[in-house]
Amino acid sequence: MSDSEQQQESEAFSPTTRCQGDRESGSEAEDDGGMEECTLLQEMGEEDEDIDLYNEETFGLDLEVRPDEDPSDILVFCGDESPGPPSPPPCTPNTPAPLTQVLPVLNGRPREKRTLRRGEVFEDPAIMRTVKSRPSLKSLDSAIVDSGIGSPCDSLDLDTWMLSPFGPSQTSVGPMLQDQAIVTVIDSQDLARTPPAPLDFLSPLRRPFPMTGGGKRGGQRGQQPLMRPLGQRYLSQIPMSPLLTRSPVCPRPPFGSPQHYMQPGMTVPQPFTPKMLQLRFGARSPSPSPFYSPSANPMQQFRFPGHVTQLHPQHRRLLSHRHQRSHRGENLDPNGQLMSMKEKEWIIKLQMIQLQSENPHLDDYYYQEYYRRLEAKMAEEEMLGERGKREPPKLTTPYVTKTESYTPVVHIEGSLGQVAVSTCFSPRRAIDAVHAHLPEESHFSEQEQKDARQQRLTVLHNIEKLFMVLLEVEEGEKRKRSMFSEEEQVRLEEKISRRVKQIYRQLQHPPNLEDSEEFLPCLLVSKGKRLMARLLPFLSESDAQHVLKVVTDHLPALMNRDTDEALPVMYPSLSTVIGELSFNQLIGVLKGFTSTLPDSKEMCLTIACQNKFGISLLYALLSQGERLLSSNSPMEAGIGDYETWTETVFLVARRLSRSSLVEPLLLPSNLISLFCRYLDKHTVHQLEDSMERSTASCPAVPS
Amino acid sequence: MNYMPGTASLIEDIDKKHLVLLRDGRTLIGFLRSIDQFANLVLHETVERIHVGKKYGDIPRGIFIIRGENVVLLGEIDLEKESDTVLQPVSIEEILEDQRCQQQAKQEAERMKLQVLKERGLFVPRADTLDEY
Repeated sequence: MSDSEQQQESEAFSPTTRCQGDRESGSEAEDDGGMEECTLLQEMGEEDEDIDLYNEETFGLDLEVRPDEDPSDILVFCGDESPGPPSPPPCTPNTPAPLTQVLPVLNGRPREKRTLRRGEVFEDPAIMRTVKSRPSLKSLDSAIVDSGIGSPCDSLDLDTWMLSPFGPSQTSVGPMLQDQAIVTVIDSQDLARTPPAPLDFLSPLRRPFPMTGGGKRGGQRGQQPLMRPLGQRYLSQIPMSPLLTRSPVCPRPPFGSPQHYMQPGMTVPQPFTPKMLQLRFGARSPSPSPFYSPSANPMQQFRFPGHVTQLHPQHRRLLSHRHQRSHRGENLDPNGQLMSMKEKEWIIKLQMIQLQSENPHLDDYYYQEYYRRLEAKMAEEEMLGERGKREPPKLTTPYVTKTESYTPVVHIEGSLGQVAVSTCFSPRRAIDAVHAHLPEESHFSEQEQKDARQQRLTVLHNIEKLFMVLLEVEEGEKRKRSMFSEEEQVRLEEKISRRVKQIYRQLQHPPNLEDSEEFLPCLLVSKGKRLMARLLPFLSESDAQHVLKVVTDHLPALMNRDTDEALPVMYPSLSTVIGELSFNQLIGVLKGFTSTLPDSKEMCLTIACQNKFGISLLYALLSQGERLLSSNSPMEAGIGDYETWTETVFLVARRLSRSSLVEPLLLPSNLISLFCRYLDKHTVHQLEDSMERSTASCPAVPS
Repeated sequence: MNYMPGTASLIEDIDKKHLVLLRDGRTLIGFLRSIDQFANLVLHETVERIHVGKKYGDIPRGIFIIRGENVVLLGEIDLEKESDTVLQPVSIEEILEDQRCQQQAKQEAERMKLQVLKERGLFVPRADTLDEY
């Protein structure tokens, strides 16, 4: 709110009040304006002037009547002030306004008040008094009932008109009356209660806060009851009847002309009082202004998780009880309740968020432990005969269940990827979880693309789940070694094997993907390959070999779609499997290599040679064959196995010598000897060269 | 009663008179009207109290908003016991004068100390913090 607005409002403020009190006088509109201004002027004067609050003289001075002026002529009073600056001592001039006291002048301020409707002003309970220079906290925020501004000096100044009735000097002015009235009201209401000390200006002996410092005043104060600069604020807090009866303590102005004040039928000179009725205080006030309330706090944009948004019922109960209790007690504190329930709750919620945890026993160990012991002790005591003690208050932190809900990936149609959306709950999205939009698919229909995407996500989801199980398996395996009892070991082994089977089955035929090849969907994903690689050691021989077969059968497809080059991760485990193949099985696997692909005339072999993994696999197979052959153990070869073997070797040799080779992952050293056996020297040398060329940095492994 | 047993919260301190010690050494007394999650405080009818020896003086300051990080400590003032103090209130001018003298004396002592140390070849490192309390 701008200052001018405030002023306007405050301006309108007083005239209305005056009007109300002034009914009988039939005050003119102009008077209203005058009054507004006067109030403002007076406030300003008070503020600027370092007035001795409790100095009746000053106070009295303010109310001196100019001999030539009609004291009741407010216009005169106010109008006269135009030239004077606000700073000089409060209104020397004139007319002790019936309503107000000090009325310094405003620099030629036009009387604009009427522009503001009375209703407007009355609507805002925050407008009690405003000062030109400083926005009133209250006027800006209607939730604030107290419009005490700036230094207590100001408020103290204000209090001048509140104070006198209680001071030794009874030279109070008109405004005092209203305070009297208020006091009466308060008095009657609160006789039963002891008001909080600072607010107890009824008791002269109490020294409310703040003490007015300053030497000037100090001496004079003496034993005077220091009124809190709150006096006027009472006005807002206490609903008052429009017709305030004259208070018992009738202020006697120093110059002894109360009549002036009581002037045109005004019962009580009260700039503010009549308004009080219409003011809404505290809880009933309109919503707080944005600049300070949490509702406007940018923090608020942060969404509280659902379970935290609502304050725990226990806390809510505590908070409300407390609030009620305090509210009753602080009824008399007009400045109180600056923080509404809402705001307190907000802070508590905020603090509670920090206490959220899925595993409180882990995160908040000491607290939990302490209360566990405390409760245990209580229970014990209870059992020992002592009356069941009241449960120690325990903080119920919001236990968070793992947030399953995950804001779906923000995918803009037709975009190449996903938008990086991070929230405080998921600061980093799994970017690779969304499959990149492959260019080939552009010719597919929207629906197909969507389906493909959906499928991929399903597969990924499955893989993730299975990975968790795999981790369990590996963990179990590790623990097995450290276990002592046989029983437990057996049980653990059973568990492990069960899990392994589960993973195997799921990989073989992933749920939700009905018509898919065995293992293929998962193997096409790099993480799936990794999963398989880690699973292989746990699989039974037959299962593992089955997997190997699948891999070799689909090798072209796998190699083709291995964009991440993740195939090599499977190599170590597969080579182990290969190492356990029998000759017969080996031949079976090799057959897959030499078969021609359905799409082209090419052999799988050819393509394999161009792929790191493929060639490594090939080498591994050949190496195994060679090992088997050169070993002296009896081989269970089937019919035609040897022929196939020789054929394959020839084929491979020819292929290898012709094309440039890709560096394999591992080059078994017995390959040369293998080729030596079947091929002529020349070819062998050629092969050797080409292999060596390609395996510059490849570690040679003695078979 | 604490809303959150086992925790510290300023909620219960709202609308009560408090004494707040700041990092720059100031002592403020006021009614705690509002807080936030950073323990920023809104003090109402604040008075800065300067203590020198057994005397103190109050400077009325109005409304204070204090950034939480600058608070050293704060405590509720018992309004009933507030006046039972051996301390003697004096005027602002007097206390400011006293404070000035005290500061001067302290500086002088500090200077002397540094001088003596310097003579002996010892240097006192600069204080890391600017905290004056």
